[in-house]
Amino acid sequence: MRVVVDLNRCQGYAQCCYAAPEAFELRGHEILFYDPAPPEEARPRIERARLACPVRAISVEPAALAGEDAP
Amino acid sequence: MSDDTLFAEVLDPGNRADPYPIYARFRRNPVTRQRDGAYVVSTHAAIRSLIFDPRLSSQDLPPSRRPRTGNPLRDWILNPIKNRVANGHRPLIFRDPPDHDTLRGFVMKEFTIHRVNGLHQRVVSHVDKLIEACRGRDKVCLVEDLSYPLPVAIICELLGVPEKDEPQFHDWATRLATALEPDARRDEDTRRVTVTTFDAIAAYMRGLIREKRRHPADDMLSGLARRGTPDQPAMGDVDLISTAVLLLVAGHETTVNLITNGMLTLLRHPDELARLKADPERAPQLIEELLRFEPPVHFRTRKALGEIEIAGTTIPKGAPVILLFAAGNRDPERFTDPDRFDPDRDDVQHFGFGGGLHYCVGAPLARIEAEIALVRLCQRLRQPSLLADPPPYRPGASLRGPQNLGIRIAGIV
Repeated sequence: MRVVVDLNRCQGYAQCCYAAPEAFELRGHEILFYDPAPPEEARPRIERARLACPVRAISVEPAALAGEDAP
Repeated sequence: MSDDTLFAEVLDPGNRADPYPIYARFRRNPVTRQRDGAYVVSTHAAIRSLIFDPRLSSQDLPPSRRPRTGNPLRDWILNPIKNRVANGHRPLIFRDPPDHDTLRGFVMKEFTIHRVNGLHQRVVSHVDKLIEACRGRDKVCLVEDLSYPLPVAIICELLGVPEKDEPQFHDWATRLATALEPDARRDEDTRRVTVTTFDAIAAYMRGLIREKRRHPADDMLSGLARRGTPDQPAMGDVDLISTAVLLLVAGHETTVNLITNGMLTLLRHPDELARLKADPERAPQLIEELLRFEPPVHFRTRKALGEIEIAGTTIPKGAPVILLFAAGNRDPERFTDPDRFDPDRDDVQHFGFGGGLHYCVGAPLARIEAEIALVRLCQRLRQPSLLADPPPYRPGASLRGPQNLGIRIAGIV
């Protein structure tokens, strides 16, 4: 799984940080740090984060698409 | 009825069960002026462009006015001072930057990911306890049996407000929530009741905060009530009280609508109910669609600080602006087939929690509560069906939801 956040869209609503704290962290008011290749077991929480984003900035792609080894 | 009085139809309790056709009429123009000078914003694009606009102020509450008591000391000295203090210390929902951001910062520091997500198990056990209490009955009254007591128990636990005191502030919370409605804000009598109610709940909070300072516990109120130091400033006492009251009232009066609207929508779409029951992993997506389709808060009001040009309309300085979130959520320009409840739609960018600086602080908690409540209800109620459709509604046009929701059941699993 590969996570991509469109940081031009991100407004720092921090909803992803509550949904999947292991993969998203907001530092200061609007600098988002995230794990672009979270472990497969985090998928339900990553999916929650994607859905909860008020500006729909998060996309989740299969790792293969991004040229990585499939899990 | 012409468009410049259309908002009166939104406020009319007769239209509470289905305000969506009125919203569709509003959307013929992104911005519609009302005869009383208010501007209603109803399309998705127009709302989205305004929620971040610093020319829209949230400081739109009428000034505080305490009722006459006949005691000259109170009427001429004490109460005017109290009114001035109250006017300068609105809760953050009615404040603009920079004060709003400072206050919200204090709240967010206590509304930690750890604390909020840590409530998950408590929500599960509360939900199961409340459903279990319905065993042996053939009917569930959803609001009083679950939708109301659940968020109340959880917000009390989060803030550190003793739940045994709830009967005391139950009516206060309802009255303060009612006071947000536009017609209540115009009505002098309601405003006087609001001020008296706020004084009562503030007195209660003041006592509780004193107690938290003496014996701090691991709850939000103890954290917020911490005394400031030069390195780590803290909230002033007046702001602390209005913030605590805001969180308590918000926790009372909104999630109740999300859960009840959710169950109502599922019972109207039995196929979706069955799918959720079979696959609880569908819940997060279903709840986002629910926040679009039947949001707990339909609109919020703002005030134009300067002239605003939008979608061919000029909103003059000082005009009240109504952001009709629930109309934007069903804008056909933004969503395909918007009046259809479809949890499978992928692009649900809704205003169910508002947007911009004032985006609902409690959103992550509301999602947890709604998800667990709806999944458990679907799994545990046997053959649920609506006793009345539409159900009776609470009076609020903004904080809109059923007064009660009677569900016939064949038992509890």
